[in-house]
Amino acid sequence: MTPQLDGDAVAEPNYDDEFDAIVVGAGLAGSAAALTMANRGLEVLMIERGSSPGAKNVFGGVCYTPTIRELTDFDGAPLERYVAERRFGMLSKSDETAVSISPGEWHEEPHNDSYTVLRGEFDEWFAEQAVEEGTTLVTSTTVTGLVRENGRIVGVETDRPDGTIRAPYVVLAEGGNSLVSESADLKATENRENVAVGVKEVLEFPQRDAVIEDRFRLTDDAGVSYHYFGEGAVGDAFGGGFIYTNDDTISVGVAYRIEDAVAADQSPEETLNAFKSHPAVAPLVRDARTVEYSAKTIPEGGAESIPDLVHDGAAIVGDAAGLVLNNGVHLEGTNMAVESGYHAGNAIARAADQGRVGADALQAYPDALERSFVVQNLERYAWMMDAVEADRDLLFEDLPRAFADAGTEYFRMDRTPKEAHAENAKRAVLDAVGGWTGAAKLALRYRKVVT
Amino acid sequence: MSAQPKTPQVDNDSMEDRLYTVKYNDPGDSHLDVKVSDICMQCDSYDCVRVCPANVWRESEEGVPHIAYENCLECSSCRYACSHDNVVWTYPETGAGVTFKHG
Ligand SMILES: Cc1cc2nc3c(=O)[nH]c(=O)nc-3n(C[C@H](O)[C@H](O)[C@H](O)COP(=O)(O)OP(=O)(O)OC[C@H]3O[C@@H](n4cnc5c(N)ncnc54)[C@H](O)[C@@H]3O)c2cc1C
Ligand code: SF4
Ligand code: SF4
Repeated sequence: MTPQLDGDAVAEPNYDDEFDAIVVGAGLAGSAAALTMANRGLEVLMIERGSSPGAKNVFGGVCYTPTIRELTDFDGAPLERYVAERRFGMLSKSDETAVSISPGEWHEEPHNDSYTVLRGEFDEWFAEQAVEEGTTLVTSTTVTGLVRENGRIVGVETDRPDGTIRAPYVVLAEGGNSLVSESADLKATENRENVAVGVKEVLEFPQRDAVIEDRFRLTDDAGVSYHYFGEGAVGDAFGGGFIYTNDDTISVGVAYRIEDAVAADQSPEETLNAFKSHPAVAPLVRDARTVEYSAKTIPEGGAESIPDLVHDGAAIVGDAAGLVLNNGVHLEGTNMAVESGYHAGNAIARAADQGRVGADALQAYPDALERSFVVQNLERYAWMMDAVEADRDLLFEDLPRAFADAGTEYFRMDRTPKEAHAENAKRAVLDAVGGWTGAAKLALRYRKVVT
Repeated sequence: MSAQPKTPQVDNDSMEDRLYTVKYNDPGDSHLDVKVSDICMQCDSYDCVRVCPANVWRESEEGVPHIAYENCLECSSCRYACSHDNVVWTYPETGAGVTFKHG
């Protein structure tokens, strides 16, 4: 079906009633949904407010790709580096205690499906895959509302002249700042305890070659994902800092709860500056030039914040549905966005085959998501945010300091026997956690993180 | 050796220089506003100002924050930050506003 051109002065195509489905937003979730539906023979229109897909998008750094790989030919994807090392650094004011993991397996294809990417390029490429399957993409166009008839969603309003477009199905893939879904009462606006502000810089090193390879001990396409938490990362806020290596830039940023950001005595920009100046971070980022400064929110409400995913004529996917896992150890939203877009696209294609548009006909989407890693993972860690909140002083301030002290004591070089050093080290940690009983309780509380 | 750990100096760009790194297409008028001015006049937390990573919201003499919307990175933090739910937040129309090259 070719969209008809409007005969009027405005030579804009008239898309009304020309499509089987409209996708709002060409991020990862939107393109996954569009690609899936187009693959199954549906006529799909994808509407993106940016001048190109990705132009408005910001994230930290690592795209998790197990589902994208299944959906499309992955060879041409604009990947920066594969993640060969993950490091978790606990920062107190001036110390770092870190754990680093770099399994040999991560150097082999498919590199644990973890790649640093830049969204400007990556989202454009992924949307292009949907277009190659027949999706029509319209950019620089904002969806301003939904069209309803008898309670059913039958299309969208846009900010273009004659901007109403009707179609049997609408996929809301508008990201966390979901103005359309919220104004249509499909979901509530998140509380500020459940949303993080993220600020990021992309840095390059113009003065010398191979700075990234040298500083991060990399060869070829290998890269790193460094996560930091504790006082030295984001003060006493709930959140952390990150560094990811791209091909010839690095992404550096902090993300922490808005609830804490408004209570902090420094702005997000100042928090980023302080993180970059930490003694453990400064040597990695010094002599860099800022090539981009950006910011974006992360929905962190977890399993409890997932809204009703299907409505008569519509489905909500990705960040718009709150599908992000951010618990300090894992920061994953890209994989969940793609997975949810894929299941929603499938459910719509099946409903379209049967000529049904009701929410019940789309129920296959929430059912599939429930069984997938998306909901399973969110539910598995639902308890964790509450636990971490309750233990925040201990986890973010006391423990980082205690581990740093313990390390200092354990390796102390003086003329005292090592037995005394070990005893001091043990005491530093035990004091922080409240003795052996406290340690046991803590271990019990967090055992599910690793088991 | 000095007593303090030697931390290299990290030179951070000013906010102005940071904002220069992103492309901006002025929509002409503000996509941000406050719903009720009186609520801002009585507000003493200025959470919109505190959270904004781009110095868009600024305290002003009149009590209603000044909004330098051309600085906006469209992160949406201010929308959540205001505990009085007093922020009007819309997207700049037809692709205007900020464009990130990298993201
Ligand atoms: C600071 C930060 C760091 C992160 N780090 C990671 C990480 O390292 N790894 C990871 O896996 N995840 C990370 N995430 C989460 C991840 O970025 C998101 O989960 C993912 O981008 C969600 O994809 P999405 O398609 O649902 O939404 P988005 O990527 O937000 O896409 C939404 C799209 O819809 C468009 N849009 C919105 N409203 C409209 C409208 N009304 N009309 C038309 N178009 C519209 C937008 O322009 C955008 O293109 C991070 C997030 C942030 C903010
Ligand atoms: S917008 Fe909200 S936080 Fe900002 S001054 Fe007004 S009431 Fe206060
Ligand atoms: S959206 Fe973000 S950058 Fe824009 S005014 Fe609000 S807090 Fe500031």
